[in-house]
Amino acid sequence: MTLPGPLVFGAESESAPVALASLSAGIGLRAVHHHEVLEQRPRVGWFEAHSENYFAQGGSLPRILGRIREIYPLSLHGVGLSIGSTDPLDRTHLAALARLIRDSEPRFVSEHLSWSSVGGRFTNDLLPLPYTEEALRHMIDRVRQVQDFLGRRILIENVSSYLQFNCSTLREWEFLGALAHESGCGLLLDVNNVYVSAINHGFDARTYLKHIPRAAVQEMHLAGHSARRIGAREVLVDTHDGPVCEAVWDLYVAAVARFGPVPTLIEWDSNIPALDLLAAEAHKADRITEVHHVRAA
Amino acid sequence: MSALRELQMRFTNALFGSFALPDVDVPDRLDIYRNNLREGFIKALAIGFPVIEKLVGVEFFRRLALDFLIAHPSRSGDLHPIGAPFARFLQARFANTEYAYFADVAALEWAHQQVLIAADAQPIALDALAAVNPADYENLRFELHPAAALVRSAFPIIRIWQANQPDASADDQIDLAADGDNVLVLRAADWIELHSLPAGDFAALEALAAGASLGAALECALSADATFDLGIALRRFLSLGLLVRLHLPAASSEDAS
Repeated sequence: MTLPGPLVFGAESESAPVALASLSAGIGLRAVHHHEVLEQRPRVGWFEAHSENYFAQGGSLPRILGRIREIYPLSLHGVGLSIGSTDPLDRTHLAALARLIRDSEPRFVSEHLSWSSVGGRFTNDLLPLPYTEEALRHMIDRVRQVQDFLGRRILIENVSSYLQFNCSTLREWEFLGALAHESGCGLLLDVNNVYVSAINHGFDARTYLKHIPRAAVQEMHLAGHSARRIGAREVLVDTHDGPVCEAVWDLYVAAVARFGPVPTLIEWDSNIPALDLLAAEAHKADRITEVHHVRAA
Repeated sequence: MSALRELQMRFTNALFGSFALPDVDVPDRLDIYRNNLREGFIKALAIGFPVIEKLVGVEFFRRLALDFLIAHPSRSGDLHPIGAPFARFLQARFANTEYAYFADVAALEWAHQQVLIAADAQPIALDALAAVNPADYENLRFELHPAAALVRSAFPIIRIWQANQPDASADDQIDLAADGDNVLVLRAADWIELHSLPAGDFAALEALAAGASLGAALECALSADATFDLGIALRRFLSLGLLVRLHLPAASSEDAS
């Protein structure tokens, strides 16, 4: 079997100082760890920064990101572009992103299959889209606009969702597959989000994986979630506030079997733990991809 | 209007206004998104205004933040700018009360946030003025460093700010009737400095920041403080690295910086 791996798209980045390590899992870069990362240089494959957190025009943030970028491969993950909104794309936001891309030469640039604003009012959250032909055409057009503006391919990530729209006519995996095919974007498969949405909406997570086109998946995310009771039923919420749960690790094994050792990232945004605990989660992902390697060989 | 846009409008109105949404399978779960909206906004505002949060207490800050969210929702995919109208909001809410100083403290915290992320710039050298023909002094214009901000207050906001830092001693009593601070917020290497400036210096900097010529700035400074000494003040501004560009009057045609 051929592995659609990071080597193909590694060619997009200018330089990778830790070439071999780029096959290892990375962790989300959070401000509380900045100095520790620079002083201790944890053994992780790469870092991913939330783009909007580094939109600063000067001061210490761009400097710190630059120093981290000298040591590790870096990816940029946007949470605020509101790419699925029917408002015009925010050119100021895109320009800030383009500047950050120029300065930090990321391996991947990603955003979400979601929207967060309409009528100029922002929720700063990842809201779900209805899976209709109209929404699909809209997303294809918007992803093309963003890729044209940035002059590069972007990855689109599936989000966790807590409700479904009555007007939806497509399954999420159909929507994502068509979006990748038509716009040329890659996919960032968030395994935790697949799991959370599968439980919340009652579909089979492995069926979801089976329908995602192999070559489109360029990156994977893993994170923790939590359960809340709404009315009579429990619902899973994508809180990124704890370790990856066993069921999500199991799903990750299935994802690695299907998509190969795709660059994988541990996300942890609330109750952020010590850096070595995050690195340990990343190493756990590495062991799964190594086992997969052995089997594939 | 497209069906998608109409749906997004209904969804957003339901989130901000607590309306029901007939378009979804489990309407109760809209509360998760409402909660994300509110908690995300409160958290971001609290990160930007820790002194206000400490002054009013966590619970009251949450109520203030929720009122502020409705009046001034986020206008960008980046949460950093949400605090821009917060001082004005507090001004309207607490003017003519014993909490009138909240607005000025919020303005100081907003300036602090702005200065932290402002562009880098090279200050002009201490001896830059030596190269200028003294006849041109009056018409010189300067640009202030992007990572510098001015906050004028009738209250001792620097002491209030210092007394409400995480490492401050708890029993610090502040006399609100004490002299007000005219604050210069300035980014140094890796930290932020707060300078309480003499009235003349502050007036001069305000005028220069607004694009006034050095001559006009001198007049503003002298009307604020008759003993204002321009030479001393300019040397102080230069040694603080406050001035980043020097524009000679148009007749001299050339900019030195």
